[in-house]
Amino acid sequence: MPLVKINDVHKYYGDLHVLKGVNLSIKQGEVICIIGRSGSGKSTLLRCMNGLEDYQKGGITVDYKEVTTEDIQVKALAKSVGMIFQNFNLFPHLTVGQNIMLAPTIVLKQSTEEARVVAKKMLTKVGLADKFDSYPEQLSGGQQQRVAIARALAMSPKVLLCDEITSALDPELVGEVLKVVEQLAEEGITLILVTHEMNFARDVSDRVVFMNQGKIWEEGPPKDIFEKPQTEELKLFVNSVL
Amino acid sequence: MIEFSNIDIIRNLLIATQWTILLSLAAFAGGITVALLLTAARLNKTPLLSIFVRIYVEVFQGTPLLMQMFLCFFGLSMISIEISAWNAAALSLTLFTSAFLVEIWRGCIDTLPKGQWEASRCLGLSFLQTLRYIILPQAIKTALAPSIGFSVQVVKGTALASVIGFVELTKAGSMLNNATFEPFKVFTFVAIIYFILCYPLSWTSKFLEKKFNASR
Repeated sequence: MPLVKINDVHKYYGDLHVLKGVNLSIKQGEVICIIGRSGSGKSTLLRCMNGLEDYQKGGITVDYKEVTTEDIQVKALAKSVGMIFQNFNLFPHLTVGQNIMLAPTIVLKQSTEEARVVAKKMLTKVGLADKFDSYPEQLSGGQQQRVAIARALAMSPKVLLCDEITSALDPELVGEVLKVVEQLAEEGITLILVTHEMNFARDVSDRVVFMNQGKIWEEGPPKDIFEKPQTEELKLFVNSVL
Repeated sequence: MIEFSNIDIIRNLLIATQWTILLSLAAFAGGITVALLLTAARLNKTPLLSIFVRIYVEVFQGTPLLMQMFLCFFGLSMISIEISAWNAAALSLTLFTSAFLVEIWRGCIDTLPKGQWEASRCLGLSFLQTLRYIILPQAIKTALAPSIGFSVQVVKGTALASVIGFVELTKAGSMLNNATFEPFKVFTFVAIIYFILCYPLSWTSKFLEKKFNASR
């Protein structure tokens, strides 16, 4: 059984049909990049995978759990699915350490000591061990995003959803964040990234999914997608971004 | 006729001022408690609850505080619930205060980025946990200045309790006026005392507002 199974998912915003029957299976340890123009539904699809958005038809299961927007289901999913956002969404009134320790102590009921050990470990992993007591506003964008990654990892998720995590960063800060993600990919965590970083998609992912008009238009290994696009739309897209 | 010296007048006014302060504190404490409950109800996604809060706010903001006090005092006794002037004043001021605080806080909470809610949700925090650990600590910072600013309205609002016979500063003032026939003097003292009560509050509010804006 795949870790993530998306079965004929349809989503509407009122009359707007944004997801038109999406099917996708993702195995444990896979690194998937979802690419496509803005408005193609890629972020929406990602947000459906952990219950931030609802869908009207079809089904999604992650780690044997059905994904719905009901609070109890979202809470259960939080133990399997982590998410990293474009705008980091760190809690500005808490230190870096508190940001990371909050959910493990409250949701996973870890002791403060346990959570502190995990938080330090995760911060070391993203190269920010010395920032434990800093506040988010004292950090650069790239550092904030790495803290957000550490915060998600502290919940030991099986899947990490990354929603355009480098789009809000200054160009010189993109590299440090992608390096961390690349390292996670090597460690075998399942990653699903919505991204505009085509080089990253080509070099790191196992599979690239091209979305267009609310559908999965084309998918395959990055080599095929970027070098031998089958459809006219993907050809145009690849030419416009590379 | 008893002669009242200035000192007598001021002493009597200050005794009554204690009741004004007490009533203000009761109204503010009650108002904060009710407003917290209403805020939680409003943010909850149950439509019925948020409609209730909307109506509540509209009713208590859209009618004069004096009418609310009359209704609490005379209305309740008409349906044979005996209520003292103190209780009626405290109750109506609580309702009035909570209706305004809920609106002030709504603004403060709604200006927080939606991402704060989403990140909390993704980390598995429940609605109340998100409110407690993420939303309120941030919203309180912005809500403090306007809330304290509004407390000036509460202090001045307590003057209306004089109409239902509760002896606070204003009532004591009119009683002393009846005894001394020196309205200008007596009510000048009354006004000065209200100012002394209110000025520190509005000063604090302005100070906090500046401090908060500077830190952004």
